[in-house]
Order: sequence, then structure tokens, then C-alpha cells
Amino acid sequence: MSNSIAEVSALKKSFGDIDAVSGLSFAIQQGETLGLLGPNGAGKTTVISLLVGLLKPDSGSVLIGNSICAEVGAPTLTATRRMLGVAPQALSIYETMSAQENLEFFGRLYGLSGKKLRDRVNWCLDFAQLQDRAKSRAETFSGGMKRRLNIAVALIHEPAILLLDEPTVGVDPQSRNHIFESIESLRERGMTILYTTHYMEEAERLCDRVAIVDHGKLLALDTVDNLIDQYGGASTVTGALAELSQTIEIPGELTGNSIRFSSDTPLQDVAALSAKGVTFQTLNIARPNLENVFLTLTGRSLRDG
Amino acid sequence: MNQVLVMAIKDLRLLFRDKLGAFFIIGFPILMGIFFGMVMGGPSSGSSRAKMKIAIVDLDQSSLSAKFVSLLESNESIEVIETELELAKEGVRKGQRLAMLVLNEGFGETAGIFWEKPPTIQIGVDPSRSAESAMLQGMILEGIGQLASQRMGDLSSMQDMLKKSRKQLANDQSISSGNRLLINSFFSSLEGMTQSIRALQTDADDSSSSPVGNGGFEFAKLKSIDVSRKIDPASQPGQMKKIKSKWDISFPQSTMWGVLACAAGFAISIARERTQGTMMRLQIAPISRSEVLIGKALACFLSVMLVISFMVGLGLLLGMRPGSYSMLALAALCIASCFVGIMMVMSNLGTTEESVNGAGWAINMVMAMFGGAMIPVMFMPQFMKSLSILSPVKWGILALEGAIWREFSLSEMMLPCGILLGVGVAGVAIGTRMLNHK
Repeated sequence: MSNSIAEVSALKKSFGDIDAVSGLSFAIQQGETLGLLGPNGAGKTTVISLLVGLLKPDSGSVLIGNSICAEVGAPTLTATRRMLGVAPQALSIYETMSAQENLEFFGRLYGLSGKKLRDRVNWCLDFAQLQDRAKSRAETFSGGMKRRLNIAVALIHEPAILLLDEPTVGVDPQSRNHIFESIESLRERGMTILYTTHYMEEAERLCDRVAIVDHGKLLALDTVDNLIDQYGGASTVTGALAELSQTIEIPGELTGNSIRFSSDTPLQDVAALSAKGVTFQTLNIARPNLENVFLTLTGRSLRDG
Repeated sequence: MNQVLVMAIKDLRLLFRDKLGAFFIIGFPILMGIFFGMVMGGPSSGSSRAKMKIAIVDLDQSSLSAKFVSLLESNESIEVIETELELAKEGVRKGQRLAMLVLNEGFGETAGIFWEKPPTIQIGVDPSRSAESAMLQGMILEGIGQLASQRMGDLSSMQDMLKKSRKQLANDQSISSGNRLLINSFFSSLEGMTQSIRALQTDADDSSSSPVGNGGFEFAKLKSIDVSRKIDPASQPGQMKKIKSKWDISFPQSTMWGVLACAAGFAISIARERTQGTMMRLQIAPISRSEVLIGKALACFLSVMLVISFMVGLGLLLGMRPGSYSMLALAALCIASCFVGIMMVMSNLGTTEESVNGAGWAINMVMAMFGGAMIPVMFMPQFMKSLSILSPVKWGILALEGAIWREFSLSEMMLPCGILLGVGVAGVAIGTRMLNHK
């Protein structure tokens, strides 16, 4: 792909007998948010570690920009590291330092200083909505505030690619929403993001494309709609009928006055039933989602792990 | 280099934000130093008001020498025992007596007579109790003054002495006729004075004599005698003689506690970077692994230097006077280098803060125990002395002591400093290798 900013090719990584990543290949397009969706243990964090050069692959390669970032025996280039911002799954901030000190420290590590550093620190504090707590130690923050600071630290040097490894793990719903809004604002600014999660709702809401991984293998990669269209199966229509005519043929199961059927074209089917005189007391059309996609691809639920 | 400094400053900031950690690095060594300094006492401690025990060897055996001894005995600050010369010397050598006095033959003939040649009193003092010896000398002179006063107050004795002196004057042909006339005139005046006093004493009840100051006369000559055996300068007592202040021993020891705390603190900080996830951020930042480690090492090095500087500064305030500041700087540099290496190894002895902390302090305690940070090596039993060479703490203390009071030359400093540097280099190499392996 000509517009790709990162490419992973036939990446393999084993830990003993366990194949954490098994021949994974994908590309990240400039400005897109690519989701890595899979249950715990699917190999998502290992992929991140391989991308940033923390781990060396057994085979295959990672290309960031024009530089080989990780390859068997290849060094990780400093210039490449500057392109990457990482918010690890586990919090990785200095708890006894304030939000501002954390940002300043990591900013300096990336070579920022003076006004540029001050501007970036202020931007990150705004982004994380921590301006009023800038001088407070991180240890006094709530879990959600720490998570936001964890992401902000990854952004201090304006990376070309932001790698977010399950950034909402252990976060309350309100803070999670804060994080979603922050990531959406980054998307709007055209930032390239790799987002790993095992929550399909997050992938559906935030990601332009989603790669479904399991046991270190890439099962599918496409937009959410395409994945659902391709692997999600039919929609499920459920409802309660107001009156039942013996002459009208009803699809699916009919229990009492409750109706349930699957359809690739649920709206058309419901409209056709109405035209035939069927009156619905209640009606629910459940569109397939990534959970169904995962079920179709693996035979088990995402939540089964 | 900039990144290394950024790392070092961050680590120092984190270190001193941990109040308990900062206490163990700065506060604890100060308490240790002051406590052991007070316990050890030393040359400058003179607060004791216990009686000064002195031995007197009376070779004169005259009534005047006995009177002098009883005058000393009457002094509440002095406890006197009369003994023989060798026993007196032994008593002082063993520290059982502060001093010994020798009253030579003829003491009674001239003691307290201000126109006669003053008697010589030989005095041998325990060298470790110089402050008390000055006080004792004052009391001896006071005793001689009292003896003179009593002698002047004893008129018949005075008249006998004047007769005896006139006879000596008549027989002494070396004295010129002019001087002879002058002295005879003086003796006549004294005889007149004693007769007048005797006449007055019959009319009035005279009170006891008052103390007599020296008034420009020399009551006695105090001649120092060496009571100590010849001491090998390399021996423990020989070394001890070089100690100038009670802080000289306690501060090097306690400084090493601060150094150990620094090493333990930074060892934990590396483990903490791992457990709190920040090591990952450092590893993916545009900073090499060696820069991360050098940053840590620099912070540890600076904090050790800070601890040593602080302890030396405090020691100076309390009266410690290092023999050589340049040697002290050398010692500090070598100690800091050594314990940076030890810190690097310690940091890899566990994967969690708890395990590193436990392993680190276990090693520290053993190094401190055998290295002389608890009990000075010179006071250890032989087997511990032998084992102490394995402890970097011993070489650290030796380097500090060499600079503070052992009067080490540069070549003498090479041994402890060389060992410290060697341990430091080895530690950094091993620690880095272990960390990379992890």
C-alpha cells in the first residue's frame, strides 16, 4: 500500500512452545485508526512490543516509515523511535512526580526543551484534561486521570504513530468516555493510531479498520462494516405481534405471539410483513457486530478469552 | 549526554522525594555518627568530673614530701596512691592512673622556699588524657604553693632554715662579698620579720594560712617523663595515637551507612522502573540502554558524593579535621565509583522492588558488619579482620580514615582506592550484563 506508514510482514515470535505471534502481516495507513481486536492472550501486546523494538521477532519484519524497526538481527533506529508514541497497557508514569514533571521528563528525553517543551506540556495537559492538576503528584490521581496522563506522555513528542495498548483497562465508564473523546479528537487531527482492545464496542466506535487476531494469527482485516457484512451473518429480528393471522406465513420461530427470525435484509422483511397485515406490538432488529464476526471466525466468543 | 543528565536529575528528584529513603541516606548516618562518636569518647572529651587518680613515688621520704602528698590527698579532685616507680608507670600505661608524680630526693629541702632553686617534680601523664593533665598540673602547683605558705607560717622551722642558709652562705666561697652582704641583709630582715610575727602570735589568734599564688616565683619545675612503651606506628595503639577527634572514627563509619543506603535506594529504583512500567518507556525512547544505565549510575554517584560531602561538612562543624582534603576527595570519588558498581549488581538480584530491597540490605548488612561500619575493624577479632578484606565497606572506611586521620600518603591511598575502583568497574560490567540479559 503506497500510503502506509507502518508495515508488518510475516511476523513471528514464540516464547518457548507458545506462538505469541504467528506470521502476522498488516499495514497501517497514514491517518487511520487501526484496531487490533482479540481476546486476552491473542498476542496484541506482543505485536506492540515487536513494533516498538522491545522484542526481536523470530522472523519477519516491521517497517516504520522507511526504516526497518524490528527484524531478526536488525537494530532499532533512534530516529524510528521518535516516530512512535506508546501508551502501554500497564501504567508507566512516575507516581511520585507531578503530571507536569512526568511530561517534562519524557519531553526532554525526546529532545524537547524551552518554549517547544512548555508548549507541548501545556498541550498534553489540555489533552488529558489535567491542567488544574498539573502540579499534583500522579499518585494522587484517580485511575482515569492516570490513564489519560499515560496517553498524554505518549504524545509529548508529537509522534507520527500512536500505539495504544488497551488504554481503557480498569477504567470507570466516565473516564472511559473521556478517553474515547480524547482519541476521537486525535483521529480528527489525522493522527495515525494503532489501538489494541478486546472490547468490540471500542473497536467499532474508534477504529477505521479492525484486524481480528487470535492465537497470534490475523483472522481478518477490514472496515467494521465490511467485516460485519462478510463475517457477521444475518441480523436478528425479535418482536411481539399484536394479532396473529393464520393465513400469513411468518418466518423463523413463533412462540405464542413472540416472533424471532434471522435475515440479511431485516428492514425489507419487516416491511413486507407489515404490508401483509402483521402488526407489531414491539420490534427489535439486532444488527450483527464484531462479536458475531469473532464468533464466526473462531467459533467462540470474544469474552471467552 | 543531555539525556543522561535528564535521567540523573529525575532519579535524584525521585530519591529525595521518598522521605524515608532520604532519611536513611542522610539522617540515619548522622544519627549513627553522632551516637558512636559520643559512645567512643576520645581525646576531646573531658566532661567527666570523676576524681583524677594519680600515683606518687616519694623518693625524698621527708616530712615536707609527706606534707605535699597529704596536701594533694586533701584535694577533692585527686585520688592519690603512693607506690613504687615501676608500678606507677605500669598504672599509667594501663590507663588505671591519669598520671604519676616522682618526688626526687632533696624535694623537701627546697620545696616552698622561694629563694631556693625550685624542686623538680617528674610527671608522666596518660597521653590520651591531655586535657585532664593540664588541670592536674595546676593542682600540683597549687599544692606546692600551699606547702610554701605552711612553711612560711612555721616560724621555728623558718628560723632553723635561715640559720642553715646563713651557714651555707658562709661556706660558699663562690659568692662575691657584695652579694654576700646583700643576702645576709635579706636574711636579717627575714629573721626580724619572723620575730615580729612570733610576737604578734602571742597577742592574737592567728587564722589558718591562705593559699599562695606563685607571685612571680617558680614553686616547682614539672618535668615530663615518658610513661609509654615504644609503640609500633602500624600497630593498633600506634594508629589510635593519630586520632585527633572522637568524630574521626565515627564519621567514616556512619558515612558508609549513607553510602550503603544510596546504593540500596538506587538498586531499588531500577527494579521500580521495571515494575511501574517506566523502564519500557525508557527503552523505547530515543535513548540508548547504556545512556539509561549511565544516567542511573550518575545519579547514584552524585548522591554518594553528596552524602560524603554532607557528612564531612557536619564532621567539620563538630570538630573533625581531615588531614588532607585532596585525599578525602580521592577517597570520595573512589567510594562513589565502587558503590555505583555494587548498586548495578544489586539492582539485578531480583525482579521486584521487594526482592531487590531484601537482597540489597542483606548484602549491605554483611558488608557493613565485616567492613567495620558497625564495629571498627581494629577492634574486631582476628578472624573477622581477615574476612573484612572482602568487604568494600572496609576499603571505603580505610580510604576515608586515610584522608581524615591516618595520614596516608598518595601511595598508601592507592590500595584502598584501587580496590574500590576495581570493585566499581567490575560491578558496572556485571550489572550491565545482567540487566541486558534480563
